[in-house]
Amino acid sequence: MKRAIAAISLVITLAIGPALAQAADAPVSVPGFKYVRTVGTISEYTLESNGLTVLLMPERSAPVVTFMVTYLVGSRNEVTGTTGATHLLEHLMFKGSDAFNDAKGNSVKQYLETVGGNLNATTYLDRTNYFAVVGKEFLEGYVAIEADRMRNLWLHEADRQLEMTVVRNEFEQGENDPQQALDVQINAAAIIAHPYHHSTIGWRSDIENVPIEKLRAFYDTYYWPNNATVSVIGDFEPAAVLALIKKYYGPITRSPRPIPQVYTTEPEQQGERRVTLRRAGELGIVGVAYKSVAGSDPDFPALNLLGTILGSGKTSRFYKALTDANLTLGATASAGFFHDPQLFQVYAFLAPGADQAQVEKVLLEEIERIKKDGVTDAEVATALGKYKASTAYGRDGSFSIASNLNESIAAGNWTLYYTVDDATAKVTAADIKRVANKYLDVNKSTTGWFIPVQPDAAAAAK
Amino acid sequence: MNGGPTMRVAHMRFLPAFIASAAFLLATGAHASVAKDAVRADIDGIDVVALRTSVQDVVNVVGSLPAGDDRSPPGNVMLATLTGAMLDKGTTAQDKFAIAQKLGNVGAVLSFSVDTNTLTISGRCLRKDLPLLVGLMAEQLRTPEFSEQEFAKLKVQVQGAVRQQQEDTNFRAGDAFSRAVFPVGHPNRQPTAEQMLADMGKTTIAEVRQFHQQYYGPTGMRLVIVGDVDPAAAQAEVRKAFSGWTSGSLPPAVTPAKSAARGQDETIFMADKTSVSIVLGQATQLRYSDPEQLPLRLGTRIFGSGGFTSRLMENVRDKEGLTYGIYAYMSGDTFVDGAWRIEGEFSPALLDKGLASTRRQLDAWHADGITDAELKRAKSELAGTYQVGLATSGGMAGAILLMLNRGMPLEFVDEYPARVNAITRDQVNSAIRKHLDPAKMTLVKAGTVEKAAPGK
Repeated sequence: MKRAIAAISLVITLAIGPALAQAADAPVSVPGFKYVRTVGTISEYTLESNGLTVLLMPERSAPVVTFMVTYLVGSRNEVTGTTGATHLLEHLMFKGSDAFNDAKGNSVKQYLETVGGNLNATTYLDRTNYFAVVGKEFLEGYVAIEADRMRNLWLHEADRQLEMTVVRNEFEQGENDPQQALDVQINAAAIIAHPYHHSTIGWRSDIENVPIEKLRAFYDTYYWPNNATVSVIGDFEPAAVLALIKKYYGPITRSPRPIPQVYTTEPEQQGERRVTLRRAGELGIVGVAYKSVAGSDPDFPALNLLGTILGSGKTSRFYKALTDANLTLGATASAGFFHDPQLFQVYAFLAPGADQAQVEKVLLEEIERIKKDGVTDAEVATALGKYKASTAYGRDGSFSIASNLNESIAAGNWTLYYTVDDATAKVTAADIKRVANKYLDVNKSTTGWFIPVQPDAAAAAK
Repeated sequence: MNGGPTMRVAHMRFLPAFIASAAFLLATGAHASVAKDAVRADIDGIDVVALRTSVQDVVNVVGSLPAGDDRSPPGNVMLATLTGAMLDKGTTAQDKFAIAQKLGNVGAVLSFSVDTNTLTISGRCLRKDLPLLVGLMAEQLRTPEFSEQEFAKLKVQVQGAVRQQQEDTNFRAGDAFSRAVFPVGHPNRQPTAEQMLADMGKTTIAEVRQFHQQYYGPTGMRLVIVGDVDPAAAQAEVRKAFSGWTSGSLPPAVTPAKSAARGQDETIFMADKTSVSIVLGQATQLRYSDPEQLPLRLGTRIFGSGGFTSRLMENVRDKEGLTYGIYAYMSGDTFVDGAWRIEGEFSPALLDKGLASTRRQLDAWHADGITDAELKRAKSELAGTYQVGLATSGGMAGAILLMLNRGMPLEFVDEYPARVNAITRDQVNSAIRKHLDPAKMTLVKAGTVEKAAPGK
C-alpha cells in the first residue's frame, strides 16, 4: 500500500496433502532398504543399517527435485536454559564441516546458490527441517552435503557468538510486532508444564547465554538417522535416488543411545487465565486460546473446520459479528496441528473505536452460539469446499507438497498427509457442535489483551 | 501448519522484489517456450494471456488495470484505494455475502487491491470453477453497488489499517524514504498517514462512482490465466463475462524524478520497539524497460539480493553477526522510474556498527564493482534457478503479468537467460557507477532510537 489494506485480512487455511489422482510408482527393491508401505503416491522405505526413514513421491512434471530432511527435534525438546537452542543450532548447521565449508567454496549455501537451487531451513515446535529445490542433475551434490552435516558439523564457540546476535535480532524483530509478542505470552500462560510453553525462538536470555557445549549435546542427542526422515519429491527414479541416499547416509551409524522422548504432559487446566500486554501501539488485540488436541487426534478435523466456520473470510461467524460491525479489522480461528495437544486459538484485531471488553464479549457470544445451536449443514459444506480447494492449492509445486508433508511427519505420522483429508470429508455439523462444547471451555481458556499505549505516553514512561 | 505466529523461518527472508524475480525464473523452467505455449488475445480491449501448466486442477487468474493511486487527484489521495476496496462490498445484483458464499462453497478466492499504479486482481479456483470465478470478477469490476452504508464501514476499516501500519518499523522507514527521494507529484512518493486520513474523511461515494466510471474499463486491462486450463475455453469465458464493457484508460505518462539529489536523513522514533529498521538508498531514474536496469539488477543481486551469499548477507550477517537480514533491491520501476535501496534491521545496540558495516560494503561495491568470479557465479545461479521449474502456477501467472506491465514482450520470458548471460562485468560496474552514488543516498531509521541532535 501506499494504502494497502490487505493486511487487515488474515486468512489461515490448512493445506494438508491432496488425495492425488495419479497412481504411485511401484515399490522398488534396493539392497539395504526395507520397503514399508505406500499411501497415496508416497512410498516409505527404511535404510536398514541405521533406521533412516525415506519417503519418495515421484512427480515428473519438471526436471527438478525437492529434497528435505526432517529431524524430530523442535522447541518441544528444550528445557529452561536451552529454549531456542533447536533454532540456534539450525543456524549453526550452515557454518560448515571439514568437508564442506565457505573457505573451500563448497558450503551448502555456496553450492546451492551456484547451481540455482532454493535453500532454507525452518524450526518449529516438533521438528527442524532442511531442504532445497534443485535441478535433478544437482541433487547428488546437495545430498552429499546434507548427509555430511548430519554428523560432521563444526560447532565452534566463535560461530555461536556471531550467530547469537543474528538470532537475537530475529527475536527482536518478532517482538516488534504486538501480535507476536501477545501470542508468546498467551502460550506461556496457557501451557505451564509441557514445553509448548515457550515459543520456538526461545527466551532472550537463553538465546544470549546457551553455551556451545549444550548445543553440542543437543546435536549429539538428536541429529541421527534414526531420528530423521528424508523426503524426495519430484523428477527422479526411485531406485536411483535410494542408491544415492544409501551412498551418503549409509555410512552413518544409528544413535548410540535411544532418542529421548518427551514425557511431560500438561496438567488439566481448572479455570480461566488472563494476560495483558501493555506497550506503545495503535490498535488493540484480543486473543483467546483453548486447550486443544494433537494433530493426530480424531477430533482434529472437526476442530479445524470449526476454525474455518468461525474465522475464515466473509462467510465466517466472526466476520459477520465483528468485522462487518466495525468492531474488528479481522478475526481468525485455528487449531494447531502438532505432535502433542496444543491450542485452538482465536485472534481479533480491533478496529478504531472498539475496546477489548466489547470485542471479547461478542467473540465469546459467537462461540457460545455454536456450542448451543451448532452450525448449519451449509456452513459445513462451505468449510469443506474451502478445505478441499486448499488441498489442491497445496500441491501447486513440489516445495508446497514438501512443506505440508513436513508437518505431518512432525505430528508423528506422515500418513496424516492423506488421512486427515479423508477424516475431514466425513465431518458433520454434529461433530462440530460436539467438539465446540468439548474443547471451547472457558475453564480451559487463556485470554490475552494487547492494550496499546499512546506512543508519547510510552516514551514518557521510560 | 496453523499459520501460527510462532513459526520461524530461520534463514531467508524474501523481499517482494526478490520473490518477483525468483518466481519469474522458477516458473518458466517447465516450459520450452512460454511465448509459444501461451495463448494471447485482445478480447474486447482486454489483453488476455492463457497458459496451461502441469499443475492439476488448479487455475490462477491475475490481472491489472491502470486505476492505481497515481490516478487519485491531489487533495483526495485515497480515492483510488477506496474505489478498489469497494469492489468486494456487493454489486447491483447481489450483496457481498452472497458473492462470498458462492466463492466459499467451492474454495475459490478472489481479491482486489490497489497499489501505486494499478488495481490488481487476484483469483484462484479449481478447474471446474473458472466460469464462476471469471463471472464474479467481471460482475464486481463492472457493476459494484457502491452503497453508502458499506462505504462508511470501509472508511473505519481503512483508518484502522493505516493506523496499524504506523506500528511497523519496516513500513515507517520505507514510507519516509519514499518522501525523501521522490519529489511531490511522483507516483512513488507516498502520502503521510495524516494526509491519507484527512483526505479519506472528505471523500464521498459520488467521487468513488465518478472515479470508477472514468478509469475502470477494458482499455489498459490485462488478465493472465495459468494452470490446469484450456486456454481457448478460458478466453471464451473472459469474452462472455466482459462483453459490452467499455471505457478504461492507458497508464498515465510520468516525468522521471530528478537525479539523485540527496534527501534529508531522517530518524523516526517509535516507542517500545526492540529492532530498528533502516532504509538507505536513492531514486534511480530507471524504469525496468531501460537497457541498463538489467546489468544494475544483476550487480544488485550480487550485492544484496542473491541469498545467503550476497555481499551484504555474507559480511554484515554471517561474518559480523550484526543483523538477521539485510538486502538490496530495486523497486517501483514497473511503470515509472524507481528506487534502489538497502533494507535491514538492527538491534538498537548494534545499529551504529551495523550501519558502518553496511556502508563499508556499499562503498567497496560501488568503488570496485563486482568481480568476474561473482558474475560467473551469479549467472550460473540464474541459469540453475531457471531450470528449477516446479514453481507454482500462481507464481507463473504473477510473473507473466509483471513482465507485461514492465513493458516487455512475452518473448522476454524465454529470452531472459540469454540476456543475462550476455551481460559483461564492465556493463554491471558501469551501471553501478553511473546510476548510484553512496554520497547522495538517503538514510531513514525507524524504531526506539534517539534522533540526532541538531547539527550532527
